[in-house]
Amino acid sequence: MDVDVVLRFLGLVVVISPAVLLGALGLPMLAGVKLSERLQAQLTKASVLIGLFASIPILALMLAYGSRHVPIEMGNWVSIEQEHFHFHLKFVFDRLSVPFVILTYVLCGTVGAFAAVYLHREPGYRRFFLLYALFLLGMVVSSLAGTIETLFFGWELVGLSSALLVAYFHERPGPVRNGHRVWTTYRIADAAFLVAALTMHHLTGAGDFDVLMGSGAWPDGQAVIGQWQALAVGSLLLLAAAGKSGMVPFSGWLPRAMEGPTPSSAVFYGALSVHLGVFLLLRVSSLLAVSLPLRVAVIVLGLVSAVFGTLASRVQSDVKNALAFASLTQVGIITVEIGLGLHYIPLIHMIGHACLRTLQLLRAPSVLRDQQMLENAVGQHLSGDEVNPPRAASKFELRMYRFALERGYLDSLLNDWIVRPFMAIFRLFDSFERRWTNLLSGESSRESDRVSPYSDSLEDVA
Amino acid sequence: MTDLQTDEVVHGAESSSGGATIRRLIHHAAHYLPAQGPIEVFVHHNTLHAFESESFHDAIRSGQRRYGAEGYLSEREYRQLYDSGRIVDRHLRAALAADLGEQDLERIDGLGTRGQIRLAMLQQPLLAGPDAELRWIVAETDALDRFRPGTSPTNRARMIDQTRAWLNHLNLRDASSLDNAVGELREPLQELWTKLGRDASKWSDAQWESFSLNILWRVVSQGVKVYPPKPAARNYVRPRDVLLHAVGEDIDRNVHNLLIRFCAAYVDQGYSDWALPNRERGFFESFVELYAGKSRGLDRWLRKLPDELEAIRSSGASAAQSIELSLAELRIAEEDWEEFIVQSLLALGGWAGMIWQLESGVDWVVHAIPAGSLEGMLAIQLLLEKHAIRHVGESVFGGHPGVQETLRQSRERLAEPKPLNLERRAFLLFQVAQMLGWTPPQLLSLGDDDWRAVSEEVESFSSIERRRVFHEAYERQFRHAALDAFSHHAERRRQLPKRGSKRPAFQMMTCIDDREESFRRHLEEVEPRCETFGAAGFFAVAIYYRGAADGFYKPLCPGVITPDHYVQEDVGYTFEGVHRGRANLRRRLGLASHAFHTRSRTFIGGIVTGIVGSLATAPLVARVLFPRLTARIRRRFGSLLQPPPVTKLQLERFAPDPGPDNGHIGYTTDEMAGVVTRLLQDIGLTKSEDFSRLFIACGHGSSSLNNPHESAYCCGACAGKRGGPNARAFAEMANDWRVRAKVSALGIDIPDDTVFVGAYHNTCDDSVVFYDLDRMPASHREDFESAREAIEEARRRNAHERCRRFVSAPLNVSARDALRHVEARAQDISQARPEYNHATNALCLVGRRAWSRGLFLDRRSFLTSYDPTQDDAEHSILLRILSAAIPVCAGISLEYYFSTVDYSHYGSGSKLPHNIVSLLGVMEGTSSDLRTGLYQQMVEIHEPLRLLFVIETTPEAMLSIMQRNAAIARLCQGGWVHLAVLDAETSEIQVFCKDHFEPYQVEDDKIALMDSSLACYQGSRKHLPFSSIRETEIG
Repeated sequence: MDVDVVLRFLGLVVVISPAVLLGALGLPMLAGVKLSERLQAQLTKASVLIGLFASIPILALMLAYGSRHVPIEMGNWVSIEQEHFHFHLKFVFDRLSVPFVILTYVLCGTVGAFAAVYLHREPGYRRFFLLYALFLLGMVVSSLAGTIETLFFGWELVGLSSALLVAYFHERPGPVRNGHRVWTTYRIADAAFLVAALTMHHLTGAGDFDVLMGSGAWPDGQAVIGQWQALAVGSLLLLAAAGKSGMVPFSGWLPRAMEGPTPSSAVFYGALSVHLGVFLLLRVSSLLAVSLPLRVAVIVLGLVSAVFGTLASRVQSDVKNALAFASLTQVGIITVEIGLGLHYIPLIHMIGHACLRTLQLLRAPSVLRDQQMLENAVGQHLSGDEVNPPRAASKFELRMYRFALERGYLDSLLNDWIVRPFMAIFRLFDSFERRWTNLLSGESSRESDRVSPYSDSLEDVA
Repeated sequence: MTDLQTDEVVHGAESSSGGATIRRLIHHAAHYLPAQGPIEVFVHHNTLHAFESESFHDAIRSGQRRYGAEGYLSEREYRQLYDSGRIVDRHLRAALAADLGEQDLERIDGLGTRGQIRLAMLQQPLLAGPDAELRWIVAETDALDRFRPGTSPTNRARMIDQTRAWLNHLNLRDASSLDNAVGELREPLQELWTKLGRDASKWSDAQWESFSLNILWRVVSQGVKVYPPKPAARNYVRPRDVLLHAVGEDIDRNVHNLLIRFCAAYVDQGYSDWALPNRERGFFESFVELYAGKSRGLDRWLRKLPDELEAIRSSGASAAQSIELSLAELRIAEEDWEEFIVQSLLALGGWAGMIWQLESGVDWVVHAIPAGSLEGMLAIQLLLEKHAIRHVGESVFGGHPGVQETLRQSRERLAEPKPLNLERRAFLLFQVAQMLGWTPPQLLSLGDDDWRAVSEEVESFSSIERRRVFHEAYERQFRHAALDAFSHHAERRRQLPKRGSKRPAFQMMTCIDDREESFRRHLEEVEPRCETFGAAGFFAVAIYYRGAADGFYKPLCPGVITPDHYVQEDVGYTFEGVHRGRANLRRRLGLASHAFHTRSRTFIGGIVTGIVGSLATAPLVARVLFPRLTARIRRRFGSLLQPPPVTKLQLERFAPDPGPDNGHIGYTTDEMAGVVTRLLQDIGLTKSEDFSRLFIACGHGSSSLNNPHESAYCCGACAGKRGGPNARAFAEMANDWRVRAKVSALGIDIPDDTVFVGAYHNTCDDSVVFYDLDRMPASHREDFESAREAIEEARRRNAHERCRRFVSAPLNVSARDALRHVEARAQDISQARPEYNHATNALCLVGRRAWSRGLFLDRRSFLTSYDPTQDDAEHSILLRILSAAIPVCAGISLEYYFSTVDYSHYGSGSKLPHNIVSLLGVMEGTSSDLRTGLYQQMVEIHEPLRLLFVIETTPEAMLSIMQRNAAIARLCQGGWVHLAVLDAETSEIQVFCKDHFEPYQVEDDKIALMDSSLACYQGSRKHLPFSSIRETEIG
C-alpha cells in the first residue's frame, strides 16, 4: 500500500477521533439521554487511545520514510469568491505538530483517567467530560492546523472550554467571575489573532502557512513576505500568544484560572493551554527570521514574563498559585528561546515542562505530606523561624515584595487602561440611548433602573 | 486628607482607654470563629462549640443567625425521607406531641387543634419563596384555579359545597343588602362574575373550583390585613451588606482578595520561598510597613491607602487605635461595636480563626505569630473596607461622597422596596386552608382576634420549626429501632448456653472507633472462641513518639491531654550501621528532592527541570493508570531506604524525670504498671481466669494519597495520627514480668502464659501488621498463627463489607477482589474518597461485649468496653471512660452532623477545588476563605443524627456522673447527644429526657435473625436495619 495513503488515513483518524468523542458525549446530552459515568470515561479513553495509536505510527512512518511534511486537505468550507475569502480546512503533520499532538493525547488521556475517578459522583461529571472533549478537539485541531483559520478554529475551542471549566463551580460567584475574566482576556488575544489572520490573507491571498513560510517544511521554511509585513503580522500574533499564554501584561488570569477542579487546572494551565501561545510563535517562527525588531520584541516579552513569573511565584503561599506563576516563568523562557531562533530546544522544553507541571499540579494536595516526609528524611525542619530567622528588610526588598504580592500590578494596569476606557465608552453610548428613549417616552424609560440589585429585601436575606 | 488623618491619629492616641474595650470585644468575637487548627492535626470537634452552653436546637437557631448556615436538612430532603418511609407518621406525631406538650390539643378558633394544623403543615409541602416567585405563583400559575395536589377529596368537596351554598345564599338577597353582606369582597366577586358568567347554575366543576379558590384567596388576603405584622427584630447590618443590597457592589470581593493573600503570607509555615518581611512584628505593623510609602500601580480603590498608612506609621498608632478610628469614621454606634466586630471577623472567618488559633492556642507550628495578630487583621480589614466603600461611593454616586455619605445614600435606597409581607402571610394561610379544608364561609365568620390567632399559629410554625420536628421524628425512628434491637438482642444473648470454663482462643483489643465495629464482628464470626474489647485507641499510653525514620517527636494521645512521656523507636544494635547509612541516604535524597521541588519553580532551575521534565511522564502515567502496581514498585525500592526491619522501642526510663533526651525517654516500671492496670480495669479484664494465652492490642490509622485531610482519617484518640506505637508500647509493658508483679500487687493477676502482642490496623487498605513478633516465645507460635489466620479472614470480610458503600466497587465483588479494591483506593492519587471514615456513625455503646456481640450494627457504632460489675460504688471507672468517650465521640458525631446538613457553610465544600495554602489548611481555588470542617465527599453517605449513647449502668450512676463532670452534663442535658442506660440482665432500657430518665417501652416485638454479617448486608448500598446474627457453631 502506498505510504501516503496510510499516512492520510491515520491523519484523518487523529483528527476525527476527538470530534467523534465530542459528538458521542454531546449529542445524547442534547437529546436528554444520561450516559453513565463509566460509559463516558470509557468513550473518552477509547477516543484518546485511538488518537494516540494513530499518531505514533505517523511519527514512525515519517521518521522511516523521511517525509517531513504531510498535509491533509479538507477543502474550503466557506468560500466567498467576491471577497476573496475562504475558510480553508487543512491539517499538516510535521516535526512540530506531531510531537505536540502526541503530547496532547498523552496528557489528556492521563488526566482524563485521573478525572474519571476524581470526579466520581460529581453532579457536573457530564459537563466536565463534554468540555474536556471540546478541549481535546481544540488542542488537536490547533496543533495540526495547516492554515491560520484552522488554527483559529481550534484556538477558539480551547478558549471556550477553558473559560467554562474555570467557571465549573458555577454555584459560587468567584469561579464565574474568574471564568469571565479569563474569557475576556482571551477575547483580546483572539481579536489580535483574527486581525493577524486577515492581514495575512490580505498580504498573501491565503491563510496557508505554506504560502507564508515558503516551501520548506518546518522548521526550515523561509517566509516570503517583506520585513515590515512580517513585523505587522508578527506583532499581532505575539499579542495573541501573550494573551493565550498569560504572559505580561495578561498574566492576571493565570491564578484566576485555578478555580476549576484540580485535573482541569493541571492539564490546561499547567500543561496545554498555557503553551498554546508559544506553540503559535513556534509555528510562525520563520516570520521571526525575517524581522529583527520582531525577534527583539519576542525576546523582551519572554524575558519580562519569565522574570515576573519567578518573582511572583516566590511569594505565593499556596500551591496552585505558585505553580501557575512557575509555569509562566518557563513559558517566558521558552519564548526567549524561540526569539533566539531556536526550534527544537523550545519544543523539547515545552514538552518536558508540560509533563512535569501536570504531575506537580495533580499531586498538589500532597504538598503537606511531602513536606513532612522530607523533614523526616532530613531530620530537621526545612522552614520556619529556626531555619529562616526573621531579618530586617530593606526598602528595595519591601518594594519588590509588594510588587510580587500584588502580582506586578498587572490586573490594575489592565483595568485602568483597557477595561475602564472600554466601559466608559459603552456607558457613554448607553447614556445617549437612555436620554433618547426617555425623550421619546416622555418619562424615565428604563424599568431596570428601578429594580434593586437583589430582589429580596435585606430582612429576608439577613 | 493626610493632615486630617494625622490629627485623628493623634487624637486617637490620647484616648487609649478604648483599646481595652476593643481587645475585649475581639476576644469575645474570636469565640465565634472556627476552632480548627492546622490541618496537619485534625481534631474533630463540635462545629457549634461556641453555642454549646445552649441546647442543641437553640444552638442551631443561634448558628443560623450568626453564620447564616442551616442546622437541619432542607424541608425537601426531610419530605423525601418521609415519602420513602424513613420517617413515618407515627414518629412524626409523637415528635409533634412531645414538642407541643399540653398545647397539642388546644383548639384554634374551631378550625382544628394545634397538633392537627402542624401535622398538616408537615405532611404536605408548603410553597414559600422570594417575593418575585410569590408574585409569579399568584399571577402565572393555576394556584388560584386548582386545588393543591394532595388536597383530600373530602376537603375539596366540602370547600366547593359550602362556597356554593354561601353564594346561593347571597344571590337570594337584593343588591343593597348584598353589598353589606360581602363588604370588601364585592369587587372580586364582580370580577369573578365577569370571568365565569353571572349565572352560577351553569358553572362547570372546574369553574366552581376556580371560584372557591379565588374567594378563599380574597378572604385570607382580607383576613391577614386586619392586624399589622410583627415588626422584625432590629438587626445590625454590616456596611458591606447595605452596599451590596443597595447598589449591588460587594466590597468584600476586593477587600478579601488582598486580605487573603496577605493573611496567607503572614501565617505561611514555609511554602513560599520568600517570607513576608517584618511579619515577626505583627500583622498590623507588617502590613503598614509593606503598603506605606509611594506606590504606582495599586488598584484604583487602594490609591489613597499608602498615604493613610504613612500617616499611621509616622504617628506610631497601634492596631487598636486604628480600629477605633475606623469605627468612628464608619459611624458605628458604640452599642453596635460588638456586633459589628463579630460580623466583620466572620466575613473572613476561616482566616481569622486560624490566626486566632495560632496566636492563642497552637504552639507547635514552625512559624509562630505574635499575640495581637487578630487585632491587627481587623484593623487592616476595616481600613481596607473604608477605602472600598469610598471607592464604591465615587463610582456609584459620583464625586467624592466619603464613607458616611455613601452609606447614608445607600441606606436611603434600601428603604425603598417594600417586601410583600401581606401576600406572603396570606399565601401561607391559603395553602393551609386547603390542606385542612377551611372553607371561605367558615373563615368569613372569624373575628379580628381569631384571624390574629390563626395566622400567628401558622406563621409561628416556620420552616426551621417544621424541620426541627421533622428532625426529631427522623432521629426518633432510628433511636427506637436501635433500642428495640439492643433489648431483644441482649435477651437473646442471655438465653444462649453459657460458654464453658474454657479460655478464649485469643483476645483482641481495638480502638472504640466505629470503623472497628465491623472488623471485630467479622473476627468474632470467623473465630467464635475469641473475645474482643474496645478502648480509646491510645490505650492509656499518652506519649510523644518518634519513629526510627522520623525527625521529630509527635504527640500520640487525645488532643486534650499533654503527654509527659517520650518514647522513641530504636534500631537494633546489629543494624545500626545499616541504619546510619540509610538515614544518610534518606537525608541526601530528601535534600535533593526538596531542592528539586522548590527550584523547579525558579528561573534557572526551571529550565533544567523543564527540559528533563519529560521524564516525569513515566511516574505520572504509572501512578494514575496503575496505582497498585506503582505502589508495589515504590515499596520495593522504598524498603532500601526505610529503617531496617528489626527495631525496638526505647520504653524504659532510668533518669527520674521524663524528657526527650537519652535516659529520660520512657516510663518507669511503676508508671507502666499504672498504665496496664488502668487499661485492664477499663475494659473489665481483671480476673486471672479470663485471660487467654494471647492478647492482641491493635491500634489503627489510615493512609491515603493526595489527601490534605489525611489526619482526619486517622485515630482520633491519637491526635489524628497512627496509633500503632501505642499498642506496641502497651503490649511491651504488659509483657514485662516486673510490671506484671506490680500489676498483680494492684489486684490484677495476669497468668504467666499470657503473651501480649501489639498490632496496627490500617482502616483504609484493611491491612494488619504485628510488632515485635521476634520476641514472642516459641510456645505461643501456634496460638499466634491461628489468630493471625482468623484476622486475615476477618480483614478480607471487612473489606468486603466496606465495598458495598463504594459505588465504584461492584456489589457482587468477591472478598479477594474487595481487598484489592480497598488497597488500590489507598494508593490512588486520583481518589477523593479513600475511605468513608466515620460517616454513618450514630451510636456509641458502653458496656460488656456479651450483650452486643453478634448484633449487626452496620459500622455505625463506637464500641467501648466497660464492665459495671467490676466498678466501685463511685462508678469511678465509668466516669473516667465517659469523660473521654462522650466529648470525643460527640465531637466526631456533631462535626459530621453539621458538615452534612450544610457542607458549604459548616463543612469545607467540595474537595475537588481544594488548594493547600500556607501548609496550614485548604482554600477553594486560589483565593477563598480558609475552609474548615469536613468536605462533601467525606460526608456524602452520612445520616445526620445525633449520637445515641447506650450505657450499661443505672440511671443513678449516670446522674451522679453528670453532676461530677460538667462537660458530660452539658452535652447530655443540652440534647447534643441522646442517652440511654441499659440493664443487660433484664434488657430494661431507660432513656434520658432533659433532666431525668424514663423507662423505654419496646415497640417491635422481635429482631431479624440472620446467618452471617454477609447475609445482612449483601446486595445493598443503603443504610441497613439492625439484625441479630446466629452464633457460629464452635467446631
